[in-house]
Amino acid sequence: MLRLDQLSRRRAGRPAVQNLSLSLSRGQVLGLLGVNGAGKSTTLSMIAGALRPDRGSIQLNGADFLEQPELARRLIGWLPERAPLWPELTVGEHLDAHGQLRGMRGAALKQARAAIIERLELQPLVRRLAGVLSQGQRQRLGLACALLHRPALLVLDEPGNALDPVQVAALRTLIREQAAAGTSVILSTHLLAEVTAVCDRVAILHEGTLRHDGPVRSDDHAALERTFFEIAMNERKAQAA
Amino acid sequence: MTILAVTRLELRRLFVRPLAWVLGALTLAELAWRFVLLLGSFLAGQIKLAALPAGPGYTDLVGVPLLSSMLTGGFLPFGLAELALIIVPLLTMSAIAGERSNGTLPLLFASGLPASRIVLGKYLAVLVWLLLWLALTLAMPLSLTHAIHLDWGKLAAAALGMALMLAALAAVGVACSAFASHPAIAAAASMMLVLALWIVNLGAQIAGVDNGVINWLAMSTHLETLLRGLVASSDLLWFVLLIVLALALAIRRLATERERN
Repeated sequence: MLRLDQLSRRRAGRPAVQNLSLSLSRGQVLGLLGVNGAGKSTTLSMIAGALRPDRGSIQLNGADFLEQPELARRLIGWLPERAPLWPELTVGEHLDAHGQLRGMRGAALKQARAAIIERLELQPLVRRLAGVLSQGQRQRLGLACALLHRPALLVLDEPGNALDPVQVAALRTLIREQAAAGTSVILSTHLLAEVTAVCDRVAILHEGTLRHDGPVRSDDHAALERTFFEIAMNERKAQAA
Repeated sequence: MTILAVTRLELRRLFVRPLAWVLGALTLAELAWRFVLLLGSFLAGQIKLAALPAGPGYTDLVGVPLLSSMLTGGFLPFGLAELALIIVPLLTMSAIAGERSNGTLPLLFASGLPASRIVLGKYLAVLVWLLLWLALTLAMPLSLTHAIHLDWGKLAAAALGMALMLAALAAVGVACSAFASHPAIAAAASMMLVLALWIVNLGAQIAGVDNGVINWLAMSTHLETLLRGLVASSDLLWFVLLIVLALALAIRRLATERERN
């Protein structure tokens, strides 16, 4: 489904991501872990097509994504860290605009819009302006926009931000549902519990490089915690020395 | 068709914000007042004018002066052309700079749209608004066609000139918006640029220099010909060149931003 090969990108004069190679198969949920500044958001922005890598390649369903950026329109749904919205448009207008930008029209758009409104319980908010939504509601709307066109790859950058515990549980269920339906998911998070709860695999980034890539066992939270802290703390010790 | 999706999105944003409505309402009210005064003046002098063998008619004294006072010597300060120098930068300032400051530009990039479609889609939306504005203004002199003889050719040439001017100003505004980090900076830069384009030959004229190149650079030179009813391909080409240049710069800027972020 997705293959990253030697992906590199500099930001603000320093390497944000270096020689990152990863692959993701259909229906798999990959957790992307790392401390702040590890390169998670840069990686996700490149996968989503919002940022071009300096080097390396991204393959989506066997096609070169960098050569055919329009693939993003059909195949990828992206929820950035803070869901960017047009404050003067309503929730319904956001869904229409996102659908149209992704090439959806007429009955297909109407049907998809109705389905996602129902699934994410957005009905009471449909006529509300995005500018007056609470942080959690904004996040739900961002998620709805990302899912509207039924993408094959869902890229979520800290989707649990600002959600209450009930909404976090609902989000986990949604991610598992999407994976069961064949959608591949990349989930960036700071929360180790989030990874053990929903992910099949975890990749740990540190200072822009991949330090760990392996399966996740939902009953072994301690092992993941150990691996994560070893990578993060050893690096700090090494820097201090 | 994704250009149309961007256009629809931009139009919706334009029409739900109060700015476009306020600007539209205030300028149309000013233009209606100007129309009434021009019409009053025309009616007062109608008997004298009728005695002249080839005297100016309704189109020369009401229709065209409504569009611009600076070039046709009307007695009120603002015609449509002068208002456009202020209105268009305000309408275009948020086109791309607004997306940038709002954080929504990456969403457009991530939808796989090339920079050219984003820029053209937004440009078309502003153009639709401006052409509607022009049409409503033209409806004023046209509302009396059943009672007054109208020089259709002259008014059509003037309307074409105004449409080209609005299209050129919109292109410059969108380009400024593509380069600016904030809408207010885009508006200020765009206003300065269009004013410079409008009066670039003024200094030379005041100094008594009739320089062909400086006159050619000025937008007013090319609009004036069209307002007089003369459609010359060199004038049309000047407007088309400006539109293409401004949009090409905007597209290049956005494409570079996508590359470098």
